[in-house]
Amino acid sequence: MIGLKGLLERRPGLRVLIYAGKGGLGKTTLSAASSLLLSESKRVLVFSTDPQASLSDVFERDVFGKGEVKIAENLYVLEIDADKRINEYVASIKKKIIDMYRLDKLPPDLEEYIDSAAAEPAMYESAVYDAMVDVVAEGKYDYYIFDMPPFGHGIRMVAMADVLSQWVEKITELRKQAYEYGRVAASLKRAKLTYEDEILKELQYIRDRIVAFRNIITNRETSALMVVVTPERMSILDTEKALEMFSSLGLEAAGIVVNQVYPPELAKSPDTPEYIRNRVEEQRKYMAEIKQKFGDMVVSVVPMLNREPKGLEALSLVAKELWSPSKSLDDYI
Amino acid sequence: MGILSRIREVVEGMAVHGQATSILRIKAQIDNLFMIITLGDMLGIPLLPPYYSLRLLPYMYPNIQNWKMYMLRERDVTDRIS
Repeated sequence: MIGLKGLLERRPGLRVLIYAGKGGLGKTTLSAASSLLLSESKRVLVFSTDPQASLSDVFERDVFGKGEVKIAENLYVLEIDADKRINEYVASIKKKIIDMYRLDKLPPDLEEYIDSAAAEPAMYESAVYDAMVDVVAEGKYDYYIFDMPPFGHGIRMVAMADVLSQWVEKITELRKQAYEYGRVAASLKRAKLTYEDEILKELQYIRDRIVAFRNIITNRETSALMVVVTPERMSILDTEKALEMFSSLGLEAAGIVVNQVYPPELAKSPDTPEYIRNRVEEQRKYMAEIKQKFGDMVVSVVPMLNREPKGLEALSLVAKELWSPSKSLDDYI
Repeated sequence: MGILSRIREVVEGMAVHGQATSILRIKAQIDNLFMIITLGDMLGIPLLPPYYSLRLLPYMYPNIQNWKMYMLRERDVTDRIS
């Protein structure tokens, strides 16, 4: 196994690490450990959105919704409060309409429409991705580590980026046409034209954002999609599905990290209780399956610690194995 | 209203009114198409991610009522005649 170190040597242009996959496997812990490693020499931002399994817990600091917080030298954490972001965004749209047309309040049906749009799950994901684009575009850091929420429909924005970008081009064309007709009619009738420039500007903005997001996710030189798996039946199946989904979207996972693995020595030691021994034996079977199914894609195996990996000290244990694994994959089988 | 502007309106009405109306009609059709594409989810046709289409909402606001009425209006044979 090449470890994260090997991956970075192989792809020196990497700037963005994205930990993806389902919840509960340790994406957040591995994101935090990666950021800790990389911050030894470079400025790193680790980014998360999930208020449940959060960087706040891992770093033992409340960072949720507090912007970019410095945790250690060169290490910054950003935990987005997506709901707050959506609320602020929606409020700004409402305010804009009220100000533009000098209304006392929004008509109820429009208010309802905006609120229901804001409640859609797709909205949450879009807000997260939009925040991602923000921080990467700003370019203040050398490395960006993203602890992604479990993928939903939103990741399809990647597949849709091309379509959408063409769409927006078409819409823009349409808008220009409308503008031309409007201008002629307006000059004939000497009426005033409204907001055409603003609409075109917004369309351009939307297109740029969608394309920027696609570029962050799909650029193989600068971004690596990392998938986390544990030696369990369900987790292996889920990972297979995730890899299939990625390739259907034209994405490619850069590496797989196997997490929460019992040290194989436990099976050999005579002092090991039966209960643990069974567990270890079972895991060894699944490790063999992981090797057979994912083979070279496995970058690191991170052993189960004897306590929860919380706080900088425990994290550095995880980080060490992640960076350059002390055993080979076969040692776990 | 001054006599001059009255005259101007009469001349305008004779010269370009028909043209202006037909141009406005084409513009209305294009606008309509644009509204469907951007705010289609108001009618249950989601095309743009709502996170982004909301940005356009303020500029469309004045047309929304008419557009929804136009789109949701029941159609019948008499439409064909007109």
